Amino acid sequence: MASIASTPIIDNTIDTPGRRTTLVTGNHDYGSVTRMVARISEEKQPAIWWFTFIPAVMLALTFGGCTMYLFYRGVGIWGNMSPVFWAWPIVNFVFWVGIGHAGTLISAILFIFRQNWRTSINRAAEAMTIFAVVCAGIFPGIHVGRAWLAFWLTPYPSLNLWMWPQFRSPLLWDVFAVGTYASVSLVFWYMGMIPDLATFRDRSTNKWRRMVYGILCLGWSGSSRHWMRYEKAYTILAALAAPLVLSVHTVVSFDFAVSQLPGWHTTIFPPYFVAGAIFSGFAMVVTLLVPVRAIYGLTDLITMRHLENMNKIILATGSLVGLAYATEFFIAWYSGNPYEQFTFINRAFGPYWWAYWIMVTCNVISPQLFWFRAFRTNLVYMWIVSIFVNIGMWFERFVITVTSLSRDFLPSSWGYYSPTIFDIMMLIGSFGIFFTLFCLFCRYLPVVAMSEVKGVLAIQKHAEHVRTHGHGHDHHEGLVEKRVYCEFPMTCHLRPVA
Amino acid sequence: MSTPKQEKKVSPPRSFGWMAEYSDENDLLDACRKVRDSGYTRTDAFAPFPIHGIDEALGIKPTILPWITLCCGLTGLTGALLMEYWMNAVSYPYIISGKPFFSLPAFIPVMFECTILFSAFSTVIGMVLLNGLPKFSNPVFTNPRFDRATDDRFFLWVDSRDRYFNGDKVKSLLESTSPLSFDVVREDESSDHVPSGLWKTAAAVVLIGLIPGSAVLRMRASQSEDPRWHVFFDMDFQPKKKAQQTSTLFADNRASRPPVAGTVARGDLGSSDPYELGYTPVPLALDASPTSVRMVSLTAADDAQAAKPVEGQPPTPAKSEAAGKAETPAVPTEAAAAKKDEPAKSEETKPAATAPAAAPSAAAAPAQAGPAGAPAAEELPWVSEFPVPETDEKMMALGKLKFTTNCSVCHGAVGDGVSLVSNRATELAQGYWVQPTSLHEPRVQVQPVGKIFHTITNGRGKMGAYGNVLSAKERWAIVLYVRALQLSRDAKLEDVPEPQRAKLTAATPTAATPAAK
Repeated sequence: MASIASTPIIDNTIDTPGRRTTLVTGNHDYGSVTRMVARISEEKQPAIWWFTFIPAVMLALTFGGCTMYLFYRGVGIWGNMSPVFWAWPIVNFVFWVGIGHAGTLISAILFIFRQNWRTSINRAAEAMTIFAVVCAGIFPGIHVGRAWLAFWLTPYPSLNLWMWPQFRSPLLWDVFAVGTYASVSLVFWYMGMIPDLATFRDRSTNKWRRMVYGILCLGWSGSSRHWMRYEKAYTILAALAAPLVLSVHTVVSFDFAVSQLPGWHTTIFPPYFVAGAIFSGFAMVVTLLVPVRAIYGLTDLITMRHLENMNKIILATGSLVGLAYATEFFIAWYSGNPYEQFTFINRAFGPYWWAYWIMVTCNVISPQLFWFRAFRTNLVYMWIVSIFVNIGMWFERFVITVTSLSRDFLPSSWGYYSPTIFDIMMLIGSFGIFFTLFCLFCRYLPVVAMSEVKGVLAIQKHAEHVRTHGHGHDHHEGLVEKRVYCEFPMTCHLRPVA
Repeated sequence: MSTPKQEKKVSPPRSFGWMAEYSDENDLLDACRKVRDSGYTRTDAFAPFPIHGIDEALGIKPTILPWITLCCGLTGLTGALLMEYWMNAVSYPYIISGKPFFSLPAFIPVMFECTILFSAFSTVIGMVLLNGLPKFSNPVFTNPRFDRATDDRFFLWVDSRDRYFNGDKVKSLLESTSPLSFDVVREDESSDHVPSGLWKTAAAVVLIGLIPGSAVLRMRASQSEDPRWHVFFDMDFQPKKKAQQTSTLFADNRASRPPVAGTVARGDLGSSDPYELGYTPVPLALDASPTSVRMVSLTAADDAQAAKPVEGQPPTPAKSEAAGKAETPAVPTEAAAAKKDEPAKSEETKPAATAPAAAPSAAAAPAQAGPAGAPAAEELPWVSEFPVPETDEKMMALGKLKFTTNCSVCHGAVGDGVSLVSNRATELAQGYWVQPTSLHEPRVQVQPVGKIFHTITNGRGKMGAYGNVLSAKERWAIVLYVRALQLSRDAKLEDVPEPQRAKLTAATPTAATPAAK
């Protein structure tokens, strides 16, 4: 498997003025891109896959067992206790939903901004999004007390209740926002995979494999008419998903911001939550892709430039999050509200001071070294920082949820939250679900969007062609040519101009 | 199914035109332009990634997909708004956090999400359906070389169903575009027979999947005398104690707990007031005797009142009831039920009668203003003095008004138990009619005012409770009026104050009611 990546490593992180650096390194053609990606699911998995998959399945089973016990005993097995009724389950929910923002952001917003470097990483990021949203969706579902009646959240004509959901509550907005986000992300991911599933179908030598991928790709043939509608659909979906990504964490933040609790009742929450979500999502993409590109020999596709770009976004969003922390303190002082002031002093210096300073260290301080190119392009450093950011963002949600709840308006209702063993096992178990699904994704589905990378390769080929042969005399005699960034930005074409 | 399959094999596969293969997208574009310039319209190009410009090169028209998305998005938007309006403002309106039933700002997030949801799904489904997918049998798939159309090769197909199709001309045209290869597109002659194992598996999955749903539907549609089958117990079974059950948690083994001494239950604030009760509850609440004894004494007092028409009442009503029973054998069930109740009630009354005596509540005794002749069970620390001004004319007028409205229909205008309702019932010889008590009976005459108030408030025997109909002030006014009626019934001239006597003697020689002003 390592033979593919044997080409000399080119530093594509330097942008030469007037010339685009290559997004695909190595002398690849369309066929070698196909082989590089398809072999991941066609060949035997490396040992490290099994070393990840088996523990992940065991953790996922632990989570399942804990959930069964939760259904049997009730939510009392958790540490949730008055006044902290929203403890780890909601912290985990917000944490996972936040991580689930990177995929659709890369697919939709970077698509709209014509960022071609998204093509190599968008598939894995979208898959990660789906799996993170799966983990996120479980927590509020099992937190409702009688989880087998969680379907009461949906507006359906009930014969038992004769009543309807309360649409003026942010908690119901959340149901719709997360539900829409999960399903739209899923179809976006699936639609993007259809051409690559057709590639898998056409490469398969096994009858069953051919049938399964053939059904999954719906009989995709690569017809130009199909591609035309596909591009249009992809553009529309990106335009729809871009505001959706921003809306989801906004609505999640409304769960907090619409309440009256000091530390929650702030208008900064929607942008602050969205920035934090993008921050944590990109960190998780880096955490996953740094090993994946090494294990599967994808260094020519997921190049240092891709990683560096992601690190720049981590730096930007991390600084935004730091700014939000500072703004919260400023507003607490400026508002003159003693409850608000107490809440923030209590966050930093109260009983949960350790959580607050873990959050600040991991989220604000650790990414600052990404200002330096040496750190941005250092695989070990970026991987450690990405894990720090994951930890820090979990603590951010913990700080927001628990410190505000544990110090209410009335000192008589104050308390201190401690998790139980089930809280801890279910948090770790949710990582098991996430990694189980991600391992299965690597094993069975195209990890990189091959058709999109080929589009980028076509642009690259053309640019190289122009550079070596000059612009005047090439295969379209007599036509003045103009390079056009088109509707579907992964492709570029020589369009005749009158 | 097998016969047509054989026929297919006999006939040679149909040709669907020619297909040329290229290694580069630019060669494909050139070929497309050439083919289009030659006038062919039923053509298609196949590529592993979208090639821009191919729409023009092949003459592909734009898609209507954005309009589908727009329509479905607007459907989602209006659908969500109507749903929220109907559910929260029409079908199930209730006030929450001071927001109006139709609260547009609060409805916007769900409207937005539904718009995106409908648009996104319609886009993907619309794209798939407009493309004619899913389509698993396609003539282009018959050529094994075509497998590379999703890998690194580019194909151009001229369909034989084109209006101007001519096999030889197309062949030479494609040859002139210097393809890697070109070939005839043949009909897909592979078996369209889906493996039977797949059908069986699918059928089994569908059937097994139907089991839970149909079981639930059957349970919903049918009736059963068996207890409900619980998957989850919800709150149907709880570890809790009901009234009268025993418990090991408390020394007296009773699950029912009386209110803690000196506390007032929520909503019972008025009930600790003698003005609202007719008796003084404080001595009872402060009673230090064992809880059980106190509970017995309290409940017994209530039971005794409930049993009153049968047990405690003087013989007159009982007799009339017995007489009623004798006269009307047509209603045996009624009588039997009454008889059945009797022993039970008398049993309950016995401990009640002894309880106050057994209870060491001597402190409460002086407060009890009950006359010596009254049954012990009725002993409560009755209010003996009017809590309202006795000589207030307005109060007396109110009492008269309320008595006439509420009481006189049975008890009679002067309280003697003779009334139109009673007379009529007696005439009809209804066995269950109990003669209304005359308020001038000695037993009633000696009752403290608090007890009469208590009777009006809570009812007695067949008389209903008026506590929920009349305010405490109105009830005290009635008691005042009843007292006046009682006094006036047997009053002598000497009882009337000196200045008023002349008035009375002038009006009527016999008794007069001072209240009848």
